[in-house]
Amino acid sequence: MNAIATELAGERVLLLPQKALYWPAAKTLLVADIHFGKAASFRALGVPVPRGTTTENLAALETLLTTHDAQRIVFLGDFLHAKAAQAPATLQAMLDWRARHRELELLLVRGNHDWHAGDPSGLLRVTMADEPFACGPFALCHHPDVSCEGYVIAGHVHPVFHLRTQRESLRLPCFLLGTTRTILPAFGSFTGGHSLIPQASDKVYVVADEMIFLIEKR
Amino acid sequence: MQAWFAARGWKIFPFQREVWDAARRGESGLLHATTGSGKTLAVWLAALQRAKASRKPGLRVLWITPMRALAADTLRALQSSAADLLPGWQIESRTGDTDSATRTRQARILPHALVTTPESLTVLLSRPEARELFAQLDMLVVDEWHELMGNKRGVQTQLALARLRNWQPGLVVWGLSATLGNLQQAAEVLAPQGTIVEGHLRKELRIDTLIPDHPSRFPWAGHLGIQMLEPVANEIAQHASTLVFCNTRSQAELWYQNLLEARPEWAGLIALHHGSLDKEAREWVEQGLKQGKLKAVVCTSSLDLGVDFLPVERVLQVGSAKGIARLLQRAGRSGHAPGRVSRITLVPTHSLELLEAAGAIEGVRERHIEPRLPPEKPLDVLVQHLVTVALGGGFRSEELLAEVRTAWSYRALSDGEWQWALDFVARGGQSLSAYPEYRRVLPDEEGIYRVPDAGVARRHRMGIGTIVSEATVQVKYMNGSPLGSVEEGFIARLAKGDHFLFGGRILEFVRMHEMTAFVRRATGAKGAVPRWQGGKMPLSSELAQAVLEQLQCATEGRYDGPEMQAIRPLLEIQQRWSALPTPDTTVIEAMESREGHHLFVYPFAGRSVHLGLASLLAYRIARARPATFSIAVNDYGFELLAPEALPWREALCDGGAFTTDHLLEDVLASLNASELSQRRFREIARIAGLIFQGYPGQPKSNRQLQASSSLFFEVFRKHDAGNMLLTQAQREVLEQELELRRLRSTLDELQKRQTSFHEVRRATPFGFALMVERFREKLTTERLSDRVARMLRELEQAAGP
Repeated sequence: MNAIATELAGERVLLLPQKALYWPAAKTLLVADIHFGKAASFRALGVPVPRGTTTENLAALETLLTTHDAQRIVFLGDFLHAKAAQAPATLQAMLDWRARHRELELLLVRGNHDWHAGDPSGLLRVTMADEPFACGPFALCHHPDVSCEGYVIAGHVHPVFHLRTQRESLRLPCFLLGTTRTILPAFGSFTGGHSLIPQASDKVYVVADEMIFLIEKR
Repeated sequence: MQAWFAARGWKIFPFQREVWDAARRGESGLLHATTGSGKTLAVWLAALQRAKASRKPGLRVLWITPMRALAADTLRALQSSAADLLPGWQIESRTGDTDSATRTRQARILPHALVTTPESLTVLLSRPEARELFAQLDMLVVDEWHELMGNKRGVQTQLALARLRNWQPGLVVWGLSATLGNLQQAAEVLAPQGTIVEGHLRKELRIDTLIPDHPSRFPWAGHLGIQMLEPVANEIAQHASTLVFCNTRSQAELWYQNLLEARPEWAGLIALHHGSLDKEAREWVEQGLKQGKLKAVVCTSSLDLGVDFLPVERVLQVGSAKGIARLLQRAGRSGHAPGRVSRITLVPTHSLELLEAAGAIEGVRERHIEPRLPPEKPLDVLVQHLVTVALGGGFRSEELLAEVRTAWSYRALSDGEWQWALDFVARGGQSLSAYPEYRRVLPDEEGIYRVPDAGVARRHRMGIGTIVSEATVQVKYMNGSPLGSVEEGFIARLAKGDHFLFGGRILEFVRMHEMTAFVRRATGAKGAVPRWQGGKMPLSSELAQAVLEQLQCATEGRYDGPEMQAIRPLLEIQQRWSALPTPDTTVIEAMESREGHHLFVYPFAGRSVHLGLASLLAYRIARARPATFSIAVNDYGFELLAPEALPWREALCDGGAFTTDHLLEDVLASLNASELSQRRFREIARIAGLIFQGYPGQPKSNRQLQASSSLFFEVFRKHDAGNMLLTQAQREVLEQELELRRLRSTLDELQKRQTSFHEVRRATPFGFALMVERFREKLTTERLSDRVARMLRELEQAAGP
């Protein structure tokens, strides 16, 4: 596991290979597009997706919490995939996890999926906010193109970078660090990605399993 | 009937009488005949004869055709004879092209005879009142059965047939088929215990090759063969009407455009025909051909079948036909009238195709025709069928299982596989953990499985069909008139103002709106040509063997025929720089270039087997030390390309590399190291209803259902590794893409042959063809992070200090 330390808007942050961002000074973890209950929504519409994705998401959060000293997780939108994500089994798994982290503060900046899915159950004790949510020098958002004061950290696009050499090419989830905003990769275990062409000023960090790499030549 | 034939001055052929007699006795069977030989009348009049006995309303005859495009012509042919013999009979068609008013009317009561496709038949079976709709059905005809039996649409037909037979045990079923290597099996699958009736009229066939003027300047590789433009244009000029077959739609677009540039005076006299063009454009071309108005049509397999074009005198095949059966089929499109000769000329697109031409001519002479093997119990088609039947009146498990097992492809379906398929649609897959929120097919209180949700029903009906295409985008002019369709991926790479070649026109991309690409006519630069997915056909074993025999002759210094004479200089270069592969020697070449370290092997076993061999070999080499290979294959051999030097000679010459020990394990492991299964899964996921493709103007609520097949693949692999759709993907790769059986016998063969290892300084003629293959498979045993680190190092080096 390597984390990459960098500075955003004057704050030291760590880009984590678990596809999240850690802000040590605020003891905060930022997670975008976890899409809880996406598999359950598919099942409700008659598409059989195996069980296990919620557990995997929760286990990934668990790992983050054991390796980083965090008092708070901020979800940058698309916490729940759809209404059907409020299914009892999905909720129960999340509550069990919540019970093990009673002190932890959870905050959700609503994303487009959350508007349709509705707010998560009150039992989860998630503080709700709308974008842009000001936090220190940052404006925490779901959509990266929100115009506002502050340096935007957002998700929504599930960015993927196409790494190509002469003979091979790979699609890898990535962080896009720009002058006015940073976009995080999708955290959820059942989420796809969208290839996009980074702007010239963007720094691209790709995630390959347990490692993060800066793309220097592209 | 006799009088009706006499009035037209026609004679009744004995085989027609044979079919009528058999059908009258209630027998089913297969009629083996070429097109234009009176086969349609043989089965159709048999059906009419049976129908005369009863005057009840409702559907009596079902006519299944493999292509929508054929339906209209078939309909006309059936109508004209029925008008005299059975006046008052309603004969209609129902395909994806049928308008909704007609569909609605047909849904109330079907005509006496219906011409339809396997997909449209399945949609009818999904109607709740399906059983009543087919209550009067007496006879079913499957036209061009050889086109269907080897693929999943054929399996879909088998399942529909099993259902109809269950309802009407006395149903008379007849198939029509062209020549196949496994005709007996073709009959067995469609009509067990049926009779095979031999139509006659083996047509006289003339086959030759257009030899390039300067064979020594002919390219060593490539697929366009534009150097042959002049000779081809000259051939076209000499005949009233010619079909120019190309192997891909892109190739057809380019040939059409180039012909037009070479002979501008032919504007309006030559035309383009392929499956992605708008229906109206295709029909216009077909009419023009029939009326003899077109001098030439550049086409793809879209004109392989059906419809007789009497005026066609000549067929040109650009590039190798890859199989003897296909060559015969295409040749048969010319010289259609009785007594005329079918005439086909092969047009090689690069030097090595001269070799294939020589082999093909020999294969036709010996009539080595390939078989078409029906798929074995594809579970994705079964899963789709279960939902169809649940919609079409519902089913009880044990009853439907018995019915499904009467379909040839599922004759050996195990109880476990059945239970899995049932659980998959009823509970979401794992039999032990039910998902409460999952509902697709559910048993009611009486144990009858039904579809309770209207949304599921609607999506299923729209998704029926086992032909799987990439997501396509409609291409339209700004005023809305349609041109056809291209793949979404192609349009995604275009920017506003870019030109591209489509439908024989240069178009400018204007904008994209809801799955439609709007374009306008353009002049000047041609721009890109869309590429459509669709696998390349592998060289059949029959043809490959014929080619190797030609090479054997060459090593003995014998060059028979103009094709071998023309390729002689090239084969001599190959011999000088390295060696010629023969039935007893495998030639292996190692080479270093700026791209990396190459290994070339030429077993001449067809591209599918080569892909399997290459993956296996790469895996066995990379097991010792992690590496990533880029693999290129063609019908003659394969290439492994590695970024770092590898001990090729030791790996290959100690004999272990080609062993059949642990073959299945190693091949499966090599599959996991490549992306083959994942790609195959894409089709399976669509058929099994995992992926909903969406449609123009779809309600927003469907958007939450979007996920790619690769995402499904990963989730299944991680959380439900025993899922049978994954197993099926693997099995299909093994059987169809890698041809495991042929792979095993090729390995045995390779072990018997001597190896002749050469280090070469530059690519040999055979090697060059592989080096320029653009489509490459990847196989890796490196950890992802190591691989990314290495790729980044390579990019750094390439960029320089």
